[in-house]
Amino acid sequence: MPDYGQIQVGAGTLDARLVLGLGAALFILGTIGVLIRRNPLVILVCIELMLNAVNLTLITFAAQLHNLEGQLFALMTMTVAAAEAVVGLAILVDIFRVRDVDDVDELSELKG
Amino acid sequence: MAVIAVLGGIGVIGSRQPIRSVLSLVAVMLALSVIFLELSAQFVFAVQVIVYAGAVMVLFLFVVALLGPMRERAPGRLGFQWWLGTLVALVFGGFIYGLLNGLRFRMPDKVDTSVFGTVQQIGAGLFTTYLYPFELTSLLLLVAAVGAIYLSRGGRTASEIHADEEDRRA
Repeated sequence: MPDYGQIQVGAGTLDARLVLGLGAALFILGTIGVLIRRNPLVILVCIELMLNAVNLTLITFAAQLHNLEGQLFALMTMTVAAAEAVVGLAILVDIFRVRDVDDVDELSELKG
Repeated sequence: MAVIAVLGGIGVIGSRQPIRSVLSLVAVMLALSVIFLELSAQFVFAVQVIVYAGAVMVLFLFVVALLGPMRERAPGRLGFQWWLGTLVALVFGGFIYGLLNGLRFRMPDKVDTSVFGTVQQIGAGLFTTYLYPFELTSLLLLVAAVGAIYLSRGGRTASEIHADEEDRRA
């Protein structure tokens, strides 16, 4: 049985497991960032990192299966990520206008 | 490229200044875009460079510039979060590692790979099978844009709130 995990890249091949491992590593780095960083802006940046890792996984499987749906879903993810970044940054700027915060743990109340 | 991406990812979570995190993320995105190109995703490569590394990251840089330099304080009261977070991520990483080890690939579909991932194919997919989700994303972007404008429209600034409280006290 041939190894279907090898993706044709030009003349050579690329092992899909390596690329999937890279995606997993980036996702875990993003998770660590969200959990341990305290600056709200950096937390948003780490969420972007996680979304990019997911995109990489989607595109890897699209290339392995020769199925275009992975790439289409990656485009959808990019749209969602852009919308999320815009709304998140707007909320952040709004919070900073009212008070100076450099730690999300200080934002534990809903009162304005 | 993978090495650059991982180093950039470490830079994102490891640097104390937000500006360095954002610039590291730009490096990660550019490295990932090259990998997208290797995986025959030409259109996604272009979108990644233009929309992500271009527009979204410039937005982040604008916000960093707007809010001024913010140094992160040394972990004090909640320092245990660091260890707890790393522990959770390690367990999670173990799960994913086990998942990758047991991975079996099925046979790829029989399609013409010479045109795979080109703009024509992406367009045909987006405007036929996935027309409805595609139109929904336009609605999503509209809502996000209106929401961002509403949130940043004005309202009271900190000094105004302070002045109001002074008035009330007087």
